[in-house]
Amino acid sequence: MEANAQMEQHSEAIVTFDNVVKRFGDFTAVEKAHFEIGRGEFLAIMGSSGCGKTTTLRMLAGLEDPTEGAIYLDGEKVNGKATWDRDTPMVWQSLALFPFLTVQENVEFALKMRGVGKEERRQRAEKWLEKMQITEFANRNINQLSGGQKQRVALARALVTEPKILLLDEPLSALDAHLKVRMQAVLSNLQKDLGITFVYVTHSMSEAFSMADRVVIMSRGQIEQIGTPEEIYREPYNRFVAEFLGSANIFDGVVQGPAGADGWQVAYEGGETILPKSELPDGRQGQKVTFIVSAENMQLSLPDSGQPGIEASVAGEEFIGGTAMVFLETAGGQELKVQKSHDELSLLNLHAGSKVVVHWESGSCHVLPGENK
Amino acid sequence: MTKRPTLFSLILSMPLLLWQLLFFLFPLLFLVAISFWTVRNFQMQPDLNFGNWERVLTRGVFWDAYFRTMILATAAAAITSIIAFPASYAISFKMSEKAKRWMIFILIIPFFTSYLVRVYSLQVFLSDAGIVNAAFGYLGLGPFPMLNNAFGIIVGMITLTLPLVILLQTFSLNFVNRDLIEAAHNLRCGRLRTVFAVIVPSAKVGLVIAALFAFILSFGDFVSPLYLGGGNPPTLSIMITDFTKSGQQWPRAAVVAIMMIITLLTAAFAAITYAYKERGR
Ligand SMILES: Nc1ncnc2c1ncn2[C@@H]1O[C@H](COP(=O)(O)OP(=O)(O)OP(=O)(O)O)[C@@H](O)[C@H]1O
Ligand SMILES: [Mg+2]
Repeated sequence: MEANAQMEQHSEAIVTFDNVVKRFGDFTAVEKAHFEIGRGEFLAIMGSSGCGKTTTLRMLAGLEDPTEGAIYLDGEKVNGKATWDRDTPMVWQSLALFPFLTVQENVEFALKMRGVGKEERRQRAEKWLEKMQITEFANRNINQLSGGQKQRVALARALVTEPKILLLDEPLSALDAHLKVRMQAVLSNLQKDLGITFVYVTHSMSEAFSMADRVVIMSRGQIEQIGTPEEIYREPYNRFVAEFLGSANIFDGVVQGPAGADGWQVAYEGGETILPKSELPDGRQGQKVTFIVSAENMQLSLPDSGQPGIEASVAGEEFIGGTAMVFLETAGGQELKVQKSHDELSLLNLHAGSKVVVHWESGSCHVLPGENK
Repeated sequence: MTKRPTLFSLILSMPLLLWQLLFFLFPLLFLVAISFWTVRNFQMQPDLNFGNWERVLTRGVFWDAYFRTMILATAAAAITSIIAFPASYAISFKMSEKAKRWMIFILIIPFFTSYLVRVYSLQVFLSDAGIVNAAFGYLGLGPFPMLNNAFGIIVGMITLTLPLVILLQTFSLNFVNRDLIEAAHNLRCGRLRTVFAVIVPSAKVGLVIAALFAFILSFGDFVSPLYLGGGNPPTLSIMITDFTKSGQQWPRAAVVAIMMIITLLTAAFAAITYAYKERGR
């Protein structure tokens, strides 16, 4: 009862997952998924392979039925409703274009199934071909298109009925890096123009973070965190999310006692630091605490500078655009990453095996709430 | 898309080419040669006699037999394909992998026994006093004539080709991309409609080849027309034996055989062209 009342309050949501569980035999593919998708929102579902992203999307499309819980689509409970009775067109990873139909016939398919007349079908299909800039290929065979062109046909085919929601399952994974970026822009603009809801499954962080309004991070069937890209990046909920994003250093520490009025002195293997009280409001002495410092907030100094911090040696470097990620190893064997500009690095004159001292401002520590309950 | 064969692919297909040359092309050329020979005093003599061709092709009996055989084989291929499809569909889409393997095994078993033996047993089934008519008798119906007519012939042809057609159809249905089926459902195409709108076009090549095999086997079949059709009026294969029996007319039999081969080649070419035809430019 209470749950229902709560559901109704959020009538702005186009999709509600109410404690949805999906099992295949004994195996649980999705565990208690509970979240909402706003009308017109671009939601990305992200996670490593096999974590249940596709299963979640397929339940929404009506291709898979939840074992437990309820899915609401536009306020209506849709458990047990077949996919052909829902308006949830999906774009497959394989695109699933019909090779025995021409481009135009593919786009017209859904209209034909709805009994739309021939002339109207042609006009509506042509409008979408134009929108997707594939008019010139209308009479082509599907097999004679490039990856990017196929992508556009798949989008036109799914959108031709002007649905309120579009489901996409890793639609860009088959494209090369250059085309991926271009199609990301196409998708992003399309979603903004149409103002409809996109649910976008991907295992690529850059895709999710660059396009989505909110991101769902899944692992082994569980939702680990839901939030805007900014929130997730700044404040990962737990160790999994922090590791998955890959740009943070994770420390396990123990609270030693208060440090001044608004901090905690925390010891971890290899050093001590101060955590702001705002990060750990009800901390107490002896409490275990897991916190992160993002790679870009880490500072590097040479050992002879006298700067206190963790001593480490350089293990390697990786270049990312204008910056470099420096990989370090502490005496205790922990791996750390530090992101720095090339200029700053050249001053330090580092090479593999160089000794450095790593330190950070106390304000850049973030406690993982999911690990400190 | 046209590709030029590479040297490597030519080398790989050499055994096939040799085999075809040795056991198909040479006998065929010999057959063509014989069709111009003359028979005198029950003896064949090499000749360049167009008379055989003229005698056969200007006779109404030949063309009657030709079209009868054509219609029987076409009907048998169509009926077999239609009967086979639901079974192939069930095997490919509804059965577990284990059940599938068993079904394929069961479908291969008929090939262990001679077709002749199976046709004899059909005679027992279909005769006026046979099991089927006995069953109808119980209901106060019949007896229906099921032997020595077109019905008997087509039943025999279906018996001959059904297992093969189901096997070929099942294999082609196994290759239908399952995503396409879900995509069709997702775009509002119901189950039955998906069969015709997506599954049949996706499996077209295999389905056409299966029907082609049924046609080829039925067109050349000799056993069913003789034992279930009574041999009269004749089909082309029966006509061939009739020619050879009556007065050693091997040259005329050769003419009929060549006409059959030309027909089958044309049918095969047309079917394969149709099967592989792609939509769009
Ligand atoms: N029909 C099914 N029967 C049994 N297990 C299944 C079925 N479909 C999915 N699974 C299992 O459920 C888990 C989640 O699968 P899912 O396809 O949702 O993963 P995913 O997150 O989309 O992964 P990927 O990134 O590799 O596509 C996997 O372990 C998978 O093996
Ligand atoms: Mg997937």
